[in-house]
Amino acid sequence: MFEALLYVSIFICLIGLVFQIWRFKRTSSFLKHPKASRLRSELMTIIPGFLNTLVQVRLFKAGKIRWLIHFGLFVGFLYLLLVHGLHDLTSDLFFDYYEPTIDPYQFLRNLNGVFVGLGCIAFLLRRRLKIRINKDTPLKYKGYFSIILILLVISSGFLLEASKIISEPVFMDMVEEYSDVDEESGLADLKLYWNHNFKVYFPQLPEVTSSSLENGSFLNEEYCLSCHSDTKSAFLSFQAAKLIYYAGDFLNRHRADSFLYAIHYILCLCLLACLPFSRLFHIILIPVAGLVKKQDSVLHGQKKAVVSAAGLYACTNCGYCSEVCSVYPHFQTTGNLFVLPHSKIESVKGLIGGDAGINPWLLQKGNEICTGCYNCTDICPSGIDLQTLWSVLGDTLCEEGYLSNSNVVNTIPLLEWAAKAPVSLKRKEKKPVSSGLADQSDAFEACVQCTICTNVCPVVEYDSVKNDYTPQQVMNLLRLGQRHVAEGTRMVHTCLTCYSCQEVCPQKIPVTDILLELRNSGYKKVETMKKDYLKGMRQIET
Amino acid sequence: MRLAYFPGCKIPFYMKDYGASFEALMLRLGIELVKLPFHCCGYPAGNDDFLTSMYCAIKNLAVAQQHDLDIITPCKCCFGQFKHAIHRYHQNLELKDDIDHLLDSENLSWAGKTKVKHLLSFLYHDVGVGELKKEITNPIEGKKLVVQYGCHALRPFSITRFDHPYTPKIFEELVQVTGIQTVEWPKSTECCGNPVADTNRALSLKILKSKFKSASEAGADYICSACTHCQIQYEIPGYDSTIDTFGVRPVLYTHVLGAALGIESSLSTQGSTGLFG
Repeated sequence: MFEALLYVSIFICLIGLVFQIWRFKRTSSFLKHPKASRLRSELMTIIPGFLNTLVQVRLFKAGKIRWLIHFGLFVGFLYLLLVHGLHDLTSDLFFDYYEPTIDPYQFLRNLNGVFVGLGCIAFLLRRRLKIRINKDTPLKYKGYFSIILILLVISSGFLLEASKIISEPVFMDMVEEYSDVDEESGLADLKLYWNHNFKVYFPQLPEVTSSSLENGSFLNEEYCLSCHSDTKSAFLSFQAAKLIYYAGDFLNRHRADSFLYAIHYILCLCLLACLPFSRLFHIILIPVAGLVKKQDSVLHGQKKAVVSAAGLYACTNCGYCSEVCSVYPHFQTTGNLFVLPHSKIESVKGLIGGDAGINPWLLQKGNEICTGCYNCTDICPSGIDLQTLWSVLGDTLCEEGYLSNSNVVNTIPLLEWAAKAPVSLKRKEKKPVSSGLADQSDAFEACVQCTICTNVCPVVEYDSVKNDYTPQQVMNLLRLGQRHVAEGTRMVHTCLTCYSCQEVCPQKIPVTDILLELRNSGYKKVETMKKDYLKGMRQIET
Repeated sequence: MRLAYFPGCKIPFYMKDYGASFEALMLRLGIELVKLPFHCCGYPAGNDDFLTSMYCAIKNLAVAQQHDLDIITPCKCCFGQFKHAIHRYHQNLELKDDIDHLLDSENLSWAGKTKVKHLLSFLYHDVGVGELKKEITNPIEGKKLVVQYGCHALRPFSITRFDHPYTPKIFEELVQVTGIQTVEWPKSTECCGNPVADTNRALSLKILKSKFKSASEAGADYICSACTHCQIQYEIPGYDSTIDTFGVRPVLYTHVLGAALGIESSLSTQGSTGLFG
């Protein structure tokens, strides 16, 4: 039956792989944007990817403690998988003589089990206690499932070993198969010896005498020692055996060891079957994602950007990217979660999967703020080319009509703006702080319309066809109480902030600061008009 | 002398050359640069939200204060942004309250004493032209340069205190130290066009072209900049053949001074703007 189950799990695993490949194909079309030309990705050499897979170099660079925990788990898991789980296939390859119950293998199995178990517990605690970034950035996929599954596999393994240690039936089977000891030649002595030293539970035992123990020791050396080291070297299982020893009668009678064996085996198969569907899949995705890696920045070139679809799913949501994100303060002031990389990558996956809960406008806004500082890409332990991903994401959203504030406002003629834009915004909370100049008549009323600012303005000089109002005219709009109109002028939204006008103003009017403040409040109005704008655009298209 | 190095967002990826040559230069001058976990300076957010923009800058200052260091940056937009934020923080009490509150949530605070220096103002005021001259080992001759002052460092003078806003001189003097001749350029203090490079490409290129044209007419071989954003803007010609015809190339000040100081990495750079090889 176990064999049938094994084939079923392998089959499910393969189906999962096919499903993932199909999903990558669909994702790739989203991720290859022909206009995303700011970055270029290329195939990277194999060696760094291999190193990263084997010793997680990138994680080491990102965080030493997390690396230590992860590496312990990784090594432990690898050992248990290769030496313990697949020993039928591998023991001949690696060792001259292998038995799971002799040292050092018995000890190593426990040690590696402890590594994996502790690693899993540390991961769970980290997610549970919401250390650092996860504190205020909720995650949709927390990745509990595979960690708990591994933890169950490990603990069932320890319990299985403990139940075997105390098991009389297993002991008797072994005696029958590998020795010719019987009642006459001192079976009772051997039992006594094993009970005394190795914690096997027997319901009835004779009195301990030094001669019987001596005989038991001799028999043990004769028949058992070549395949059975002292069970104390299985340090954790031995302690567990000491605990369950008191229920030994019940457990042995019901063959707890066979039951636990089935549990342990089935859990392992579950792990195999769930591999392509769970967070654990990163063990395959990260090496694949590592093959595509950015090499250069191409500032204004026309190179096609490539994001590996595997990279997108290789994200383990560790949150390092958001911890180092340059624009993290934007998240603090605006509360827009889409500013942060780990949340953006989640939402890209959501968008591809057709998740209606993602607001593309907010995503566009969060993504637009990205300054391309490369911090996230540099630290990502999975080696995902995030920088390219943001660039592609921005272009894709733009193509779908989710434009930035400046793009929208540039398409609205001033007359239309004056008629349509809300004159004042309803506010739930307190008014946002501003430099407060455009509302203070002291700041601009001294303007004498001398045109000096207009004469030095580069926008006026070079954009004479498209620009509407000049700086001095914008000041005049304010003087006439037309702040609302001023917020929609091209001048306000094209200002280079070169501060030439402000520097030369004979009346000491902070012209540039006022223009910037008008741009800020203009953008806040555009926010409310964007949805209608998109609707209008779509109507024109159809 | 120890200073906190504020590279800004564009250097680590888009302007690696500038970062590397800046660090090499500081090393040569015996300045220890300390890298701290800085954020964006807030300059890009200025378009969108005043508070965010100011908070970003002050938060960086608070981080520097934690380590008891002053900040040095090679980017003029970052420099100007810091100066603006410091000015507003002291002047606008409502803003100060909001920022202090936000800083508090990060267990930070800022006492208002951290100083911000730009590469040029640091060289001119803290190192001194005379000292610099003594260090020059490989004077460069036979090249003519014009300098791009960079708006955000230069103006408004009342806030940035960088140099005289109409007739600045420190950049020219710092270039002349290396033996290079600077030529008069009427557009020296004008905008490079980078702030609207994304939102109004046509205008940005138009400004850029006029700058190259006038630099060529002034007889310059190179336009020298000491600002990340200006340099990014000037490197467009590598991709636009119509601008290339003016025969003027952009160069970073750190490369010029580095070459004159005999810093090897400045002599051969991996970027498109290598010079004096």
